[in-house]
Amino acid sequence: MKEQLLELARKSGADFCEIRVEDSTQTSINYQGPELENVQESHMYGGNVRVAVNGTWGFVTFNNPDELERRVSEAVRNARAASARSTAKSVLAQVNPVHAEVKLALKSDPRKVSLDEKVRLFGDYNQRMLGHPGVTSTNLRYFDKYSRIRYANSEGTWTDTEAIDMGMGASALARKNGTTARGSASQGGRDNFDLFRGMEAEMDKAARTAVEGADAPVVEGGTYTVVCDPNLAGVFVHEAFGHLSEGDNVAEDPRMQEVLKLGRRFGEDYLNIYDTGLDVGLRGHLPFDDEGVPTEKTWLIRNGVLVGRLHSRETAGRMGEKPTGNARAISYKYPPIPRMRNTCIANGPHGSLEDLIKDIKLGIYAIDSAGGQTNGELFTFTAGEAFMIRDGKLAERIRDVTLGGNVFDTLRNITHVAGDYNVHDSSGGCGKAGQMPLPVSHGSPHIRIKDVVIGGR
Amino acid sequence: MTKHFDTGVGGGSGDGKSRDEAETGIYERPAAGKFTERLGSLADAFEMYKSEGRSLSVSFENDRLNEIRQGESYGISIRAVKQGKIGFSYSSKPDEIDHVAQSAVRMAPWGKPYDYQFAPKAESAHTREPDAACGELSVEHMVELCDKVKDTIKAIDPEALVDAGINGGVSTTRIATSRGQDCREEDSGFSYFVSARISEEGNFLSVYRARGASRVIDDAEILAKAREAAEEFKMARTLLPFGKGKYRVLFAPQTVADLLLPIAVGVNGMNIARKTSRFVDALNEQVFDPRISLEDDPFHPDSPAGAVYDGEGVPAQKRPIVERGVLKGFVHTLSTAQKCGHAPTGNGQRSVSSQPAPGLHSVVMAPGNAELADMLRDTEDGLCISQMLGTFTSNFLAGQVSGNISLGYAVKEGRCAGRVKNCALNVNSFDVLKGQIVAISRQREWVGNSYLPWVLLDGIGISAR
Repeated sequence: MKEQLLELARKSGADFCEIRVEDSTQTSINYQGPELENVQESHMYGGNVRVAVNGTWGFVTFNNPDELERRVSEAVRNARAASARSTAKSVLAQVNPVHAEVKLALKSDPRKVSLDEKVRLFGDYNQRMLGHPGVTSTNLRYFDKYSRIRYANSEGTWTDTEAIDMGMGASALARKNGTTARGSASQGGRDNFDLFRGMEAEMDKAARTAVEGADAPVVEGGTYTVVCDPNLAGVFVHEAFGHLSEGDNVAEDPRMQEVLKLGRRFGEDYLNIYDTGLDVGLRGHLPFDDEGVPTEKTWLIRNGVLVGRLHSRETAGRMGEKPTGNARAISYKYPPIPRMRNTCIANGPHGSLEDLIKDIKLGIYAIDSAGGQTNGELFTFTAGEAFMIRDGKLAERIRDVTLGGNVFDTLRNITHVAGDYNVHDSSGGCGKAGQMPLPVSHGSPHIRIKDVVIGGR
Repeated sequence: MTKHFDTGVGGGSGDGKSRDEAETGIYERPAAGKFTERLGSLADAFEMYKSEGRSLSVSFENDRLNEIRQGESYGISIRAVKQGKIGFSYSSKPDEIDHVAQSAVRMAPWGKPYDYQFAPKAESAHTREPDAACGELSVEHMVELCDKVKDTIKAIDPEALVDAGINGGVSTTRIATSRGQDCREEDSGFSYFVSARISEEGNFLSVYRARGASRVIDDAEILAKAREAAEEFKMARTLLPFGKGKYRVLFAPQTVADLLLPIAVGVNGMNIARKTSRFVDALNEQVFDPRISLEDDPFHPDSPAGAVYDGEGVPAQKRPIVERGVLKGFVHTLSTAQKCGHAPTGNGQRSVSSQPAPGLHSVVMAPGNAELADMLRDTEDGLCISQMLGTFTSNFLAGQVSGNISLGYAVKEGRCAGRVKNCALNVNSFDVLKGQIVAISRQREWVGNSYLPWVLLDGIGISAR
């Protein structure tokens, strides 16, 4: 296949041509309440051709590999027809062509664990949550996916990459007096199925969180000092700053280039943010991106100052910056666009959780995330669990805590960054431009933010 | 990141064949008839779901043509019953039909009990004619139209960055069961997206219009919507102060959709069967203001999500969900209907790669009797919310809808006067749609699969900084 793909890409006649062929197998298990709702095996096979002609992309997907040559012609024909009136140039940052084979290096292979064992393991977790008094229902999803992606482009790059991706999300629901509350537990990774074993304590905690949440009052809306746990702070940095750093927001928007000028101060000296593809074992680990570019650790903010962004070859080329290996596609059905990998706030100088809350008179401690969204400038996310902070101490449980704000103000308002960095994967993923879910990771120490708007009654 | 244009009407394929050729089924080897016979000998009961499609889309980003995307999709999935349990398997590889069948049978021992029955032979009383033109769009025309969208928006505000997308496609779905059902549905889809955007210090603004349909939408509508988006954009570049407090709030159709999400979750058969919905025992009770009526209408001619059969091959139905504030119906798959002891409703929603789950086809909300202009006057010194951010993270089962107000306007002198920022909303839909409705508009608009009016609510708490 290698020679065939390289040859087809080379002779396409476009300014640039790449071909991706993907073959993946996924096992999924889903419990809903006491029932095993779904056990599924899926085989995804397909590919795409992407060509650039006069700055316009032609992108064609296919399921039948016998038709590959025709697909290349169609992609070129579409891009030519569309760009007939264009004088634009295709701009891609230069990279050295690579030839690479990436083989699996696993601590524990999910494919060697029998379906029977997986069904029992996750079934036991599910039963454990259901066994807690007050838990009315549960939902537990697990998947593991093996994929092999072959990639060739007209510049001679060839990568043949094997990867495993695994994730589990479990939630317990408690319903009381017409109110429903949720508690959750999660796990994920790329190289170790054993991480999914021995999670009984996490399941108990999810159940307790749900039951206690159903009794908790809804937070009083307003502006608070908020301390975020590493997981929520990770979601915050992903939503609030990671997306803003993606090169496609900036590359062709002169005003945005002003707003996001390298060298601009975004936070205090102790604020350091990076995105990395190098953390082996995490879901955000990525040896090569989906344009065959080796990934790296990319600093975005150092000592409070903007120093970098996340690029595909096109966005890097348009801005005269270096590609960072961030072009990613969730599958062959989509073209690669700038996306995150493992996005993190680095450790800071402010100690531990206790140090962060000890002088807060009235605030909120927000733990875990039920998801979030951003439009570049504004963000919203919902805490999985939250407590009031009163007179420097954790106080009563509260529920339905949604944090919102302006990205720029909020980054400036990070007053404390603790030194207890943690990263924990889940089964979820990032969504952008219809591509969801993309496996990513996010990590952070505890952080403290002043003046956060909390939507409440 | 909110990028609002998602290509792929039912996936879509780009093999350049005419629809007739596609219907014959380029992948239908071995012949489906023989195949179902073989499947019958492997499994005690089965359901086969097969879909094929193709689509074409053009996207403009940052004022210029960015991409022409041509997609093909093929998929087959099988639910096979062996010794009382259901196994499920899926593949997108065209020659793997036997492999999928064997895999489904192999998964069955771990599957859920087959305590209901796959769809029996039943022909829908309805028919739908797909619009073949959705599969025959011309790249040149789509590019030209996007250019006109750009010119239209730039003429109103030259500083706007224009994004636009047009997408069309056709698909065929076939569902066959061991109980004799064998239905084939041809579908067509078309959608557009136009947006005016600017990222200025202190004001990132994006105003868009989008709609999907099962037939090609006129160029004139797309250009009119581009004009409308550009005018709203121009107004929204003015920022106005807004303090926290309780206000009259006018929800535009886009955000009425957010308010209805807890209802959609509450009537979902899965949450009824699991007893996590507050509506479990509320059928025929007055749960909302009598002005609220919601119907699930899979046959609405303008719906982008029309269907004659659901994802399990059960004939789809037009049904009341809420009638004059009274809860009238739940939405079920065959499985959840059986669990609840209810009749099936034809609401199995799925993609070819997933098992069916209950879901509404197309929510049509009854119009009110108020004129939008009068409602704006009645919102004096209040807020009009056009777009929310991140509401999907809310606790819908509890009725909560919360998030940042990404596009909200201060209403002065009967019109939206400027944009307000740094405001958040957190309401309980079950409460506000029962006791806080001031008026519902006569005018309605399509938002995704829903046809919704504007709704004016009183006493809505807004958090602001």
